[in-house]
Amino acid sequence: MIGVYREFEGCMRLAAYVLRRLGVLALPPVSEALTRQIYFTGASATTGMVLRGAFIGTLIIAYVIDVLDASAALAVKILIWVVLREIGPLIAAVLVIQRSGTAVATELALMQISGEVASLRRMRIDPRDYLVVPRVVGIALSTAALTFYVQVIAVGGGMLLSALSLETSLAELAGEFFQLVSPVDFIYSVIKSLMFGAAIALLCCYYGLHPPGTSINAVPKAAINAVTQSTLLVMLLNVIFAYLVFGQAFFGLVTAKL
Amino acid sequence: MNREDPAVRSGLGSPTAGPLALVYEPVSGCAEGMVRIPAGGGHCLEGLSEFRVSRLLSAVLEVKPEIGWRLVLFGADVDALGPEKREALRARVAVLPSMGGLLSSLNAWENMVLPLGMHRPLELPRATRGIHDCLGELGVPARDLLEKLPESMTRYEKILTAYVRIVLEQPDLVLSENLHEGLDDQQRDVVARFPEVYEARCPGGTFAVLRAVAPGSRDS
Repeated sequence: MIGVYREFEGCMRLAAYVLRRLGVLALPPVSEALTRQIYFTGASATTGMVLRGAFIGTLIIAYVIDVLDASAALAVKILIWVVLREIGPLIAAVLVIQRSGTAVATELALMQISGEVASLRRMRIDPRDYLVVPRVVGIALSTAALTFYVQVIAVGGGMLLSALSLETSLAELAGEFFQLVSPVDFIYSVIKSLMFGAAIALLCCYYGLHPPGTSINAVPKAAINAVTQSTLLVMLLNVIFAYLVFGQAFFGLVTAKL
Repeated sequence: MNREDPAVRSGLGSPTAGPLALVYEPVSGCAEGMVRIPAGGGHCLEGLSEFRVSRLLSAVLEVKPEIGWRLVLFGADVDALGPEKREALRARVAVLPSMGGLLSSLNAWENMVLPLGMHRPLELPRATRGIHDCLGELGVPARDLLEKLPESMTRYEKILTAYVRIVLEQPDLVLSENLHEGLDDQQRDVVARFPEVYEARCPGGTFAVLRAVAPGSRDS
């Protein structure tokens, strides 16, 4: 229990530090690290994301049409509710954990064990400035971008499938979509995905910088801790968001009306 | 050279009775492990045990002496200073580790400019020329080194990279671990010129090489 509290406290302190030190992003080495992180997490993961997004969109539409025997309008509504608000940010978060979360935790744990973090301190560079700040910002922005990819591909793919399998045109479905969707849906998913990304990066950096030991075995342990804890945290955040949105109408901005 | 006082062995010139760049000594006044480095020039400290060298470097890097010891940097007793003044003193000291202490994800050039980019980003545009000048003065071709990642570097190249990184920052005091082990004669000649090239670029600076005595070798 004390260990859990210490980890929670450590992560909160790290989050506060990152918020206080966002200014270091202007320094050339940190901005280079930020660019590298955005490229790794946001750009080079696009292909896999497009495929997953298309699969999920068509799967949801196929289920809605076949199992629920639903109309095109309901199919589009479900696409908006499920993909735009829930599945998009969640799928992006899971992909970021799988790909970047493990990479960050492993890299930082290796740097800690091999003495590279100590080298940074020897150069009077705070490892949090150079290693954590660009990763947290980069992963948060990339998760928002990946969420957008998933939303576009899944909704687009889903509507295309609906048009092929139902007696409605793509233009009609698109019209229905643009009538139902509101900017608040996008704002909500952007806020959610930014929080998911920042939470994942913070936890992975924290576990990477605090490996459970100094032997090489500590590296996979740090990665496992980072992945399991960040998955749990993303689910918890998702529950909190869902409660705020569907239970208490997220500050009155988003309401669920069937 | 005076074996009792390791600090008074000088590599480039004779020790002076002038100001001291660093004093590390027991509060009790016992001479064992005491270090005094005169300000300015190149110095070679011999006779310290590996343990004492590691304690000295830790104390300097943290600007905090171990219990029962006193650390004086550039005439200021660090125990009497607040955190900001300690940090200011720390900024004037650099340590050159025997393995270089490079970041494995950055190539040589990126490793060289990293601290400068973090501490004095406005000086970065001048770094490229500084790197080429420094390597030129050492007689090392820059093109072979700058693109290399640490995984493909020899220990000598890692030391060179770390050295250039330190020279770019122009600290007032450089403490270098023993760098000669495992190097061939030509490489040793280059490493032996480190204090000279540093002095040329940082006039008034102090370059001290700490040659630790391995356990057991004192008896032989």
